[in-house]
Amino acid sequence: MSADAVFCSSTVDYRGKVPVEHLDYGYIEKCKDVKYMEKILKVLRSGDEGIYPHLTTFCESHLEKLHPRSPALRKDNEVATAASLSKDEWSQIVDELKTWQEETKKTETSLKQQRVFDDLPKENIPPIRGSNCSIALSETSNANEKRSSSTCPLPRDYREWDKFDVERECEKIDGNVVKNDPPAIVTKRNPEIKTKVEAALLTQQEKLFLANREKDKGNEAFRAKDYEEAVVYYSRSLSIIATVAAYNNRAQAEIKLHHWHKAMSDCQSVLQLQPGNVKALLRRATVHKHTDHFQLAVEDLRTVLREEPQNAAATKLLSETEKLMEHPPVQHRKGKKILIKEVEEEHNSEDNEEKEAEAFLVEPSQPVGGEESSAAPAERGDMGNAQKKPHGRGDGGPHGNEAGNPHAAGHWRGKGGSADKYKVTPDSKEKVANGTNKRGSTASVQADQSSGGKGTPDGGSARETIDLDAPCGALPPPLSRLKNEGNLLFKNGQFSDALEKYSQAIQGYTDSAIDSPEDLCVLYSNRAACYLKDGNSQDCIQDCTRALELQPFSLKPLLRRAMAYESLERYRKAYADYKTVLQIDVGVPAAHDSVNRITRLLIEQDGAEWREKLPEIPLVPLSAQQHRREEPPSAEALQARAEKAARDAERKAEVRFTASKQDGNEFVKKGQYQDAMAKYSDCLKLKPEECAIYTNRSAPGPCHFLSPLCSVTLYRGVGEQSPVIWFWD
Amino acid sequence: MSSPLSKPQIIAHIQKSLNYTIFDSKWIPCSAKFVSLGNFARGTGVMQIYEVQHGEAQLIKEVEKPKPIKCATFGATSLQQRHIATGDFDGNLNIWNLEVPEVPVYSVKAHKEIVNSIDGVGGLGIGDGAPEIVTGSRDGTVKLWDPRQRDSPVANMEPVEGETKRDCWTVAFGHAFNDQDRCVCAGYDNGDIKLFDLRNMSLRWETNIKNGVCCVEFDRKDINMNKLVATSLEGKFHVFDMRTQHPTKGFASVSEKAHKSTIWQVRHLPQNRDIFMTAGGAGNLHLWKYEYPAERSKKDSDDVDMGVAGSVNLLQNVTLSTQPIASLDWSPDKQGLCVCSGFDQTVRVLIVTKLNVV
Repeated sequence: MSADAVFCSSTVDYRGKVPVEHLDYGYIEKCKDVKYMEKILKVLRSGDEGIYPHLTTFCESHLEKLHPRSPALRKDNEVATAASLSKDEWSQIVDELKTWQEETKKTETSLKQQRVFDDLPKENIPPIRGSNCSIALSETSNANEKRSSSTCPLPRDYREWDKFDVERECEKIDGNVVKNDPPAIVTKRNPEIKTKVEAALLTQQEKLFLANREKDKGNEAFRAKDYEEAVVYYSRSLSIIATVAAYNNRAQAEIKLHHWHKAMSDCQSVLQLQPGNVKALLRRATVHKHTDHFQLAVEDLRTVLREEPQNAAATKLLSETEKLMEHPPVQHRKGKKILIKEVEEEHNSEDNEEKEAEAFLVEPSQPVGGEESSAAPAERGDMGNAQKKPHGRGDGGPHGNEAGNPHAAGHWRGKGGSADKYKVTPDSKEKVANGTNKRGSTASVQADQSSGGKGTPDGGSARETIDLDAPCGALPPPLSRLKNEGNLLFKNGQFSDALEKYSQAIQGYTDSAIDSPEDLCVLYSNRAACYLKDGNSQDCIQDCTRALELQPFSLKPLLRRAMAYESLERYRKAYADYKTVLQIDVGVPAAHDSVNRITRLLIEQDGAEWREKLPEIPLVPLSAQQHRREEPPSAEALQARAEKAARDAERKAEVRFTASKQDGNEFVKKGQYQDAMAKYSDCLKLKPEECAIYTNRSAPGPCHFLSPLCSVTLYRGVGEQSPVIWFWD
Repeated sequence: MSSPLSKPQIIAHIQKSLNYTIFDSKWIPCSAKFVSLGNFARGTGVMQIYEVQHGEAQLIKEVEKPKPIKCATFGATSLQQRHIATGDFDGNLNIWNLEVPEVPVYSVKAHKEIVNSIDGVGGLGIGDGAPEIVTGSRDGTVKLWDPRQRDSPVANMEPVEGETKRDCWTVAFGHAFNDQDRCVCAGYDNGDIKLFDLRNMSLRWETNIKNGVCCVEFDRKDINMNKLVATSLEGKFHVFDMRTQHPTKGFASVSEKAHKSTIWQVRHLPQNRDIFMTAGGAGNLHLWKYEYPAERSKKDSDDVDMGVAGSVNLLQNVTLSTQPIASLDWSPDKQGLCVCSGFDQTVRVLIVTKLNVV
């Protein structure tokens, strides 16, 4: 750029004439100076140096490349006429105009009719401005006016010069320097604009007109990024007539202002007025996303995509939300180390987190002993172990199996490189998963949905539940909420508060009689961590034991119990637990360290035959060792597996269903209604919601044997899906 | 913007040659009709009402008035009444009921000389507060009228005794976002632009753009003042960002030299305040869009807020005639429809397409 500038400025003089040698293809091609190019173009166009049409066009096109908006390129256009448009375009315009004319005619007549009643005095009009208020301007702005007359540069009276007082002018200039300027008048953001418009007295036409106008103002303010003002104007529009568009726009403005609550209520208003409004759904999804209600956001987005599969915004938002669902943002978690596995599951792939973890791992491991140091291994144990793998499982990818173990190991040993490598893998894996998920949702929402309608939820919807409930397993929302709150508190170091939350969750769990031992196990395990942190080793041991009763050989409770035992100096038991941990996963350095330490202590204490005094170390079954990651209470993995199984089952069921149905149809054709009946019943067992089967099953009935079962099923068939299909299909 | 087809097109829908000089033409709100005003060669004034129908402008009514009519506005009337306020060559301000246009419903000798410009606010749902009319005249005064008060103005802005009186060429209302605040901007033949604050009854700001100010207009009258466009005699126009007023530097502005001749008129699109059309002395129309800067205000070296001007983009330009286009009015109801009249004694109804996509 600078070189070009030099190239041009060294040779050109903007004031002077353009030398003839510059009117040359080569020169013009090389010239990068817009201003000079414009000058050249001017000369070329003027024809002073001769007329070169090609060179002129060349110059124009080159200038356009350099500066497409150059004023020199503006050409006078002839005004377009109907003929210069395509026929369709023009007829469209004419049609629009015609409808508008007709509409305005109607409006006008109704306005005229209403005039009869227009004698009502308008009360809200302010009084006449203080009449005869001797116009303040001539006084207040007296000085201003004077100054203006002396500053205005053009038509300056000669008389002024006679009156010119040099000293006073100088003083004025000096004075200006010292003069304290009043502060800038920034026209305030929303200065006293009423959010309501008095429109009670107006006619419907006027109201419409006004409402539209206020909305337009809102739109303009929105475009100028003046969101607060936009909100005010939308509110004004709404106070006249509540319209979908104004609500929708206000919601958008509120979103921009991060007023989630208000935006939400606006979206709801729209959806009340017009259920299924795509924009409102989209905006509500945005709000949900930002208020961390990912599931709701996803639901809304799927509804949108069902309506408009091509909606790019929805697709984008969906993929973002799904990503967030898997790895919620770090913001709440920053700066604190995480102890609890369940918390980590949510966001274990976040970069910050990774770095923290990495940094932590590089440090030499600390001896487990006192309360202080015992925290460290606990943390590691929690972080390194079971988290990543359930994820791999959840995505159904092979990654969990093959990468799980070495991953954990790498992580644990704190070898920067390998750990790093592994941190990348789950992330990319998830991206892939996301990708497929997304594709599934956009391209084949319908398919997805329709298949989802059959029996168990599958595909996207199933995954979505998993994703959201991932940290909470099968817990109902209030409980998972309690749990998440607990996790958060724990992370923030408020252990006793967290403890309370977990206790509540456990209580709620027992009350609601849910059958999900793995979740309860996690709750106990988490509570145990709190106890451990609080130094309440007894209760910690108790909780861990409970957790282990529910889920034998889960790593974390074991590790925690071991630490608790250790801090109570019950080394033998601690040793046993650590050993168990190591049987489950050899790659837990904390356990290794502790085992070594405790061994030394026990040898000191009990002498050479210390082993004999040890409690029995349970033999960890092979399944727990190999598929260790299945054993820990990873609700997610379990659910993923369940889902997979369900899908398999469904696929099989589908096959069997079709087969049975075909058999049934065959039998019907052969007249063997009894057999057909049996086949159809089989079908119904597989898919009770299939209407056609009911109809098929009952079809033979009316003709030949009218059994009560038949009529009932017919009725059900009708009730569930109104159009009765009377044909064999 | 890139392909010519995506640009807005200005289409001459209806052209009608008339037998008088047209000074102003205005859409009647909530209708497909417009009023055109001017003077007959014999020195009398004329007011005609046309209706746009089947691609033609049909004359509905014509009234002859004793004095040529220079300017008109619907700004201070209710939607139901739709009375037009006019200023004539003799300095009279009249308000007419278009149903019975023979006798004015309000009449006052407003100025000693021709009323160059008129504007109204408080009607048509545009701007809260009282309906008011402002007139600017060759006699150098700017007067504010309330149709409820006969005979005398409610405010008078004139130069102090002994000062040279400047021809006021244009006036415009703005800042009428509640029932107290209101501003009038006036442009003078010497390039002065003055902004009068009607709430405080004071001169709020003034500047000089070096050349006669032919037309000023706020992008919207009924909002916290946002932008002001002032056009000048030598073909330049200035866009002022009216949100931030620096104590010494005033309002930030961007100027553009577009026409090769005087810019007679500027009118903002009623449906989008950032789009405006300028009408030039060479019979051409330019359609512009204002682009806001990333930040509309910044701190200067003394930590005082100052405005930042944006930029203007030319969307389209056409040449309609060889004579100046003296008036231009967008339909308040139909986006893209506008009426303009020039000194070639022709009134034109134009359609501007694709305004909603720019």
